[in-house]
Amino acid sequence: MLYEKKDIILHVEDLSIAYGDKVIIQNVSMMEHDVVREGKVQGQTIAVLGRSGRGKSTLFRGITGLVAAKSGRVIIPDYSKAVTDGLQPAKLVAEGDVGFVDQKYTLFRHKTILDALLFSMRNTNLSGKEKLEKAMSYLVEWGLENVKHQYPNELSGGQRQRVAIIEQLLSSGHYLVLDEPFSGLDVGNIKNAKASFDLIECAHELNTIIFSTHDIELAVELADSIYIVGYPKKPEGGLDTIGTIVAHFDLKKMGIAWRDGFDADHLELTNEIKRVMLES
Amino acid sequence: MKLKKWFKPFESLSKRDDLLIRSIWFLVIVGYWFVATSGIKKLFPSPDQVWKGFAALYSEGLVVHIGSSLWLCLQATLISIIFSLIVAYSYPIPFLRPLPKLLSRLRYLPLTGITFYLTILVADARSMQVWVLVVFMSLYFITSLMAVIKDIPEEEIDHARSLKCSRWEILWEVIIKGRMDYVIDVLRQNLAITWMMLVTVESILIAAGGLGVLIKNSDKFMNHGRIVALQIVILLVGLAIDYSLTTLRKSVFRYSKFN
Repeated sequence: MLYEKKDIILHVEDLSIAYGDKVIIQNVSMMEHDVVREGKVQGQTIAVLGRSGRGKSTLFRGITGLVAAKSGRVIIPDYSKAVTDGLQPAKLVAEGDVGFVDQKYTLFRHKTILDALLFSMRNTNLSGKEKLEKAMSYLVEWGLENVKHQYPNELSGGQRQRVAIIEQLLSSGHYLVLDEPFSGLDVGNIKNAKASFDLIECAHELNTIIFSTHDIELAVELADSIYIVGYPKKPEGGLDTIGTIVAHFDLKKMGIAWRDGFDADHLELTNEIKRVMLES
Repeated sequence: MKLKKWFKPFESLSKRDDLLIRSIWFLVIVGYWFVATSGIKKLFPSPDQVWKGFAALYSEGLVVHIGSSLWLCLQATLISIIFSLIVAYSYPIPFLRPLPKLLSRLRYLPLTGITFYLTILVADARSMQVWVLVVFMSLYFITSLMAVIKDIPEEEIDHARSLKCSRWEILWEVIIKGRMDYVIDVLRQNLAITWMMLVTVESILIAAGGLGVLIKNSDKFMNHGRIVALQIVILLVGLAIDYSLTTLRKSVFRYSKFN
């Protein structure tokens, strides 16, 4: 499977986050590149796996800039600046640079779907008409046209999730972090969520989805890069109690990314991931 | 209809059964009232006495008195809710936070002490009535509104932040606009307490009239028929306000599904 690595699109450098005195994650490092495949628009899909309480949600809050780092930093390219000397200027991630969809698909309870989408574009330079056209094109493409005048509590879980994703795409641009997007969804909605991933990935070369899940098979099937958050082993034996990245699997390098469906190689990786998770 | 189901814990009943049960209870209470007040010795006035009391009140201008009470309540509520909202919305601002916290705790202060200072500050008795109610209501409004703000899940704040909302936009979108329907519900809950306060407050100025004045006069002459008639009127007006506010909330804010 031919692909080419371009610019760095996400660099998490020795990130540590604490709530008060309690350190939740420490020395987390991740690096992802823009991947280019010939003849195909290919975004990036990164999965973060780990057992409950290991700090996945905290890592996501750090990546999205919703919580300040105790130490370390998260760097993303600054596409608002022109390329200089062949390099895209970078910036420290700030609130709103990276879209975030939480487990409950939180939306503004007092805004209809269309109003919410228009609100998410309020800081853009588009005219009112252009904003409406853009919002409507997303609503049509994502099968939400019929519910555009409804409020979040009148939607199904799957519809809420799609609205939450579109809202973040319209506001943040290329980055989207989804905290357990498949939890609580039925088979049909999981299929829809997977279709949403495809829509995002194929929409732009730089689109990058970072998601967590407890469904390892689904992660292996969808992601091209998988990070495991867990407790590292202490030199004296036993496990530490602060989360960090304990393993990274680059499915592109392994030659098993972007395949249609789940096959034997995926199963082998699933078992390996299970083993790593159980040991951390 | 299976009577057994009526006595089974957590059993869901049809609307017809539900209505039937309510009707039975209504008849039991009314029947008990008739029976218990039919003898010579009785604790409560009989339905006949209450009806006569109601007729007498009506001929003495009950409707005007209800109007007076409602007008007093409306004036006090408007001033109180505006003041309380300003104070409560200052809660997320760290420098101003002690203010709503302090005012909320002042609800334990006896009203007597406050009325003394209000007497000095306020020029006429009608204003005195309004301001006593304003002070009393505001402390409860602030407490309830603060609880609404504190109950907003962190996810909603994070959601707004992830959409590049400034802190002031979060205050406007999530706290103020996003919880407007809760303000009506807070108003509804606290009006019940205020409505009960009417008797005390309206006795400050007899000439202004109102349900409180009527009940006080009836109490003075031990006219129990009138007292119970008035109690029923006060209860019904209170329930009507309660119902109106719930209907208003649900019709204006379609997304407001609680209660």
